[in-house]
Amino acid sequence: MSYRLTRWLGNGLVYAVLTFFAIIMIFPFLVMVSTSLKEPADSYSYPPRLLPREIATVAVAGYDEPLPLYTVPTEAGPRELALVGTGTRIGVYVLPDDPTTSYERSLRDVDAAGGALNQETVLFEGVEEKLWAFEVDGRIVKGVLREQLALGEFVDPADPSAEPIQFDTRRAEPVAMLTAHPENYARVTELGGLDRSLTNTALVTLLVVIGQLVTSVLGGYAFARLRFPGRDSLFLVYLGTIMIPFVVLIIPLYRLMVMIGWVDNLAALVLPWIFTAYGTFLMRQFFITIPKELEEAALIDGASRLEILRRIFIPASVPALATQATFTFLYAWNSFIWPLIVINTANESNHVLTLSLSILRGRATDAPNLVLAGAAISVLPPLIVFLFAQRFYIESVTSSGVKG
Amino acid sequence: MARSTPSAPASIAHGRHWISLIVAWQVLVGVGLMAAAFGLPMQLQAGSWSPVLLWGAVALLAAGALASLYAAFALWRRRSAGRIAAVLVDYLVAVLGGLLALHWLGVFLGLNALADTFGAGLPWLLVVFVGYLINAAGDRFEGTAREALFRRAGDLVMLAGLLAFLFFIDTLGGLGWLAGRLIAEPLTAGLVAVVVVCALVVRLSWSRTVAEALHASHMQDELLSGYLFLSPNLLGFLLFFAGPLLLSLYISTTTNVPGGGDAFVGLDNYIRVVEFTVQPLVSADQPAREAFDVSRYSESFRAFGYIVGVRSPRFWIALRNTLQFVALAVPLSVIPALVLATVLNSKLPGMAFYRAIYFIPSIAAVVGIALVWRWMYDSTIGWINYFVTVAADALGLSDPRIQWLNLPSTALLAVVIMSAWQTTGFNSVLFLAGLQNVPGELYEAATVDGAGPVARFFRITLPLLAPTTFFVVSTTIIQALQVFEQVYILTNPPGAPADSTLTLVLYLYQEGFNLFDFGFASAVAWVLFAVIFAFTLVQFQRNRQSSVYES
Repeated sequence: MSYRLTRWLGNGLVYAVLTFFAIIMIFPFLVMVSTSLKEPADSYSYPPRLLPREIATVAVAGYDEPLPLYTVPTEAGPRELALVGTGTRIGVYVLPDDPTTSYERSLRDVDAAGGALNQETVLFEGVEEKLWAFEVDGRIVKGVLREQLALGEFVDPADPSAEPIQFDTRRAEPVAMLTAHPENYARVTELGGLDRSLTNTALVTLLVVIGQLVTSVLGGYAFARLRFPGRDSLFLVYLGTIMIPFVVLIIPLYRLMVMIGWVDNLAALVLPWIFTAYGTFLMRQFFITIPKELEEAALIDGASRLEILRRIFIPASVPALATQATFTFLYAWNSFIWPLIVINTANESNHVLTLSLSILRGRATDAPNLVLAGAAISVLPPLIVFLFAQRFYIESVTSSGVKG
Repeated sequence: MARSTPSAPASIAHGRHWISLIVAWQVLVGVGLMAAAFGLPMQLQAGSWSPVLLWGAVALLAAGALASLYAAFALWRRRSAGRIAAVLVDYLVAVLGGLLALHWLGVFLGLNALADTFGAGLPWLLVVFVGYLINAAGDRFEGTAREALFRRAGDLVMLAGLLAFLFFIDTLGGLGWLAGRLIAEPLTAGLVAVVVVCALVVRLSWSRTVAEALHASHMQDELLSGYLFLSPNLLGFLLFFAGPLLLSLYISTTTNVPGGGDAFVGLDNYIRVVEFTVQPLVSADQPAREAFDVSRYSESFRAFGYIVGVRSPRFWIALRNTLQFVALAVPLSVIPALVLATVLNSKLPGMAFYRAIYFIPSIAAVVGIALVWRWMYDSTIGWINYFVTVAADALGLSDPRIQWLNLPSTALLAVVIMSAWQTTGFNSVLFLAGLQNVPGELYEAATVDGAGPVARFFRITLPLLAPTTFFVVSTTIIQALQVFEQVYILTNPPGAPADSTLTLVLYLYQEGFNLFDFGFASAVAWVLFAVIFAFTLVQFQRNRQSSVYES
């Protein structure tokens, strides 16, 4: 094999593996979006399908509602006809001694052999079957019911005045067409109060992001540039606290919220979260890379520390700020356990999205299309922010990983 | 090192006047704080505050009073240390008093009211963002007249958006409401006045005039600025992290008393969490009540002629499930991540695109993700069983319809698969960063020596990747030990079926917030922390050993 061919095959393999994994990563999101656009019946269809479909309907003159459209295999070839209503119910009967010939009779024309109270039976193909009496060529015979058909009445949408055609609906294929029900999103918003919790989530996230940026920029600057007694030991304490998991704080923090009276209030979702040891650490790490000469010149010119921070440090650290804002945004937007604890389930006006979704899960168990529309609403904003900040964010994750 | 730049004598005279003013104010503050320290225990009804909190507050007020009086004295004697004390006291009074005033006024709870109008203002925030983009677009025309145009237009749009935002969220109404509250509550208004004066005194003490009159050093300035800049963070850290952490230790040694309040019980909660007993058995089917006190212990398991009984059976179930989860989810997340990263590391076009795609699961809310997976795990019409069925058909096996979330044997596995899916991409990006630091010459040299791709992976990539692997594995383990949301949403009721997905955090949540046994739940939290800490420690040890070995 030539070198070129080997390399070409190798590259093809690389892309095949990567694409395979990419599909795995994306597939649940596709399921989410497609199910959220389906109608309830379609979301329960098996085998599952990605594209939302529904039975095509057609408006027929003389009928108020649009009628479902079927492909009917008539003798003259398949025709697309509209189902007007259920027609006669037909039984397919055979005689016990001659099972090869079958007779189709309307159920109304058939009586129980020997009367309804004391119906005769016969041993047919090893099973005891009821006998039914019906007419064949002018005489009454007794036969066994093999299957039932429901005949549908079909009309040609182009010619609705013609006599309806009776046909077995099970042999007629419904005409499926691609569809989308974006109104699911409006419905779930109404059902789960998602508009209010979307506003709450946006407000809480915005305040937490701004608050964290302010406190960690100020703190990071102090740790990076100012010399004061106790700085290094404080910094070590900050670093150590990053290791302590949040679960240790859940209960005391909840008790604290009870004491201050913030339980069930949005304040409990914002104020405890705007102080971050991790963010301060990140900003400090970024600030120590900024050359000192810049600020020394400004200090000699008599600029205050705050001015230096605003004029030199903040413009120089836009990528770091963007990264931290993205981190915080995702954290605040997606957080669940704390809102679950501190916001009462009954107080819907202070719910955030994750909380509303977890309640919706229980409330709309029979409507996966609505639940997943809600999930899509919660996933979309982080996705948009990620697409905007993707470059900074991934770079920063990778650099923190290398340092660790 | 004293500040030796002499200023005009007039300014020094000014500084002296200011210092006298500050001295007077510090005396006032000192007396006021002392009065508050004595008044607080008398004002409050017995039992409305816990004694720890009450005496803590009294001690804080008394210390503030003493510091303020010291500041007055030291400033009067023209010692620059007095400046530090004055700034410290006034700053703390301003911040804590300000917070108290905001609390009394109900500003924090006003966030709920802000949420009513915030939706109307939200579109205007987008306008502000657009303004920022217009401003930033000026970068493209640097140095030309067009740049100034873009900057000005961007600033105008931002300003207009901000004003419209403030108008539509009803800032005016909020301010009016605040003014009404201040008029209605003279006590709070008085506090606000004290806060404002304290803030002004801080500003004054900070000023160069006062600093020069006191011959304060540069170091003192830097000390003050350092703590000032750190203070928002530090105060929040003390209030919402360090304080609660200590409170958690305290709570874990108490228990609820019927009728309200806590009682100190020492280490009882911890003992209740972990206590167990091992007794020998006469015969394999001997009933548990003959081996130990069944009102205290429940049977956990029996083996090798012994029976093990535990005080809190669900804790042990949760611990076992959590460890199982870690043991399954971590390799299932880390190994594919490593494979993906090695593939991503090939320098072909389009890798950044794939990298971004793999990242997406980790940025979405676990709650939203879990809802989708719950639907995909549906045993009759779910996608996962559909794929399983298709694969089984292709292999000629019988249809193994798996009851994912309904059976104790598969429910935890379902949670594991979802969690691994969500963390793999993130981990692969971390691995990729580590791989890009491995020098390419090593591979070239190994290739010349005749090493195949597999040998290169095990001999070069893995050893050099050890620090990254350490980081990835330890963070994944620490996260996995705290698994909660996945289980809470996927299983219904959480932990079902038959406690097979009960994890430690879920157990903690149920004990704390369904049974309100805060003392016990805090003890569980600290035990969980001990487990996490042990894992981290072991990881650190192994990492140190392996790096010693390499060098």
